[in-house]
Amino acid sequence: MLSRESDNLIVKTVVRIFVPFIQVYALYVIAHGHYSPGGGFQGGVILGASIVLLFLAYGRRQAMRRMGEGLTAFMNSTGVFIYGGIGLLCLLLGGNLLDYASLDRILHVGAAQSRSLGILGVEVGVGIAVMAAMISIFLDISTGGDLPDDDND
Amino acid sequence: MTIANVLTVALLVIGCFFFLTGTIGLVRFPDFYARMHATGKSDTLAVFCCLLALAIHHGLALDSFKLLLIAVFVYVANPTGTHAICRAAFRAGVKPWTRKTNK
Amino acid sequence: MHAFFLGTSLFLCLLVLVCLYRVIWGPTTIDRMVAAGAIGTKTLIILVLMGFLYDRIAMFIDISMVYAILNFIGTLAFAKYFEGAGEI
Repeated sequence: MLSRESDNLIVKTVVRIFVPFIQVYALYVIAHGHYSPGGGFQGGVILGASIVLLFLAYGRRQAMRRMGEGLTAFMNSTGVFIYGGIGLLCLLLGGNLLDYASLDRILHVGAAQSRSLGILGVEVGVGIAVMAAMISIFLDISTGGDLPDDDND
Repeated sequence: MTIANVLTVALLVIGCFFFLTGTIGLVRFPDFYARMHATGKSDTLAVFCCLLALAIHHGLALDSFKLLLIAVFVYVANPTGTHAICRAAFRAGVKPWTRKTNK
Repeated sequence: MHAFFLGTSLFLCLLVLVCLYRVIWGPTTIDRMVAAGAIGTKTLIILVLMGFLYDRIAMFIDISMVYAILNFIGTLAFAKYFEGAGEI
């Protein structure tokens, strides 16, 4: 059912107009995590919800051309890689795991500023990973566990 | 008693009035489609009036612009959701209420 | 103005309780979903009013924008699920 494209012109047009704005707002929520409610996980959920909106309006076959299974798995890995990579980089530079002050050695901006930049980096990684996880969970539940393999063309 | 305060109070009272009529319609109307009329229309206008009132109260700042952004989003998204639900109900076979089928 | 915002918030909470009647006793499922959407719209205004009462406006505006987006997505998802007669 969710694989069929909706024949509702109003819903398709409104979704097509709104999805970029929702994604820009999700990026705002990720970037302002240190100051207002938000951060990596909340922004990632809104990003994932915008892609789910595309799936609902345009059907699974057409939306998988935009965000297929391969791209989802790649972004999942990329998000975890960024998060773990920054932690490991802090370890390699002499501090503890995720001790961002030791990033000062390659950034040269002071301990406080490098902590802020380190937190922003892991928030971006978490956001990307959570978005990919949301899309994967949606695809798995909505197709009942058996996603046809030959949908991507 | 400035003009901004008077405008804020007036718009908030109008917004609450529309919320009240929408809720009374949701509870008292006999049919699903009539309830969708009440909720979809008056709730959207009430949200717009209330957010406009709060933006006027806050003055000319960035937060007032963000409130107007929420108002524009709800103004476009709420009727779309209403339309989608009504069409889904019609396709699924919810019948309208006529006076003969009452009781 | 503080007391007026507090009164408006309490009035809107009362209207949410009235909408709960339709959520509990709605004859069909779709009635319950419509009433839940109406509760969501009122919650949006209550959140912004709470921001004005606690004097932390910027924080509550972000929260209410997120809630507006998720309310819209939930309504569309439920409409599609209902049209297919529960089949996924």
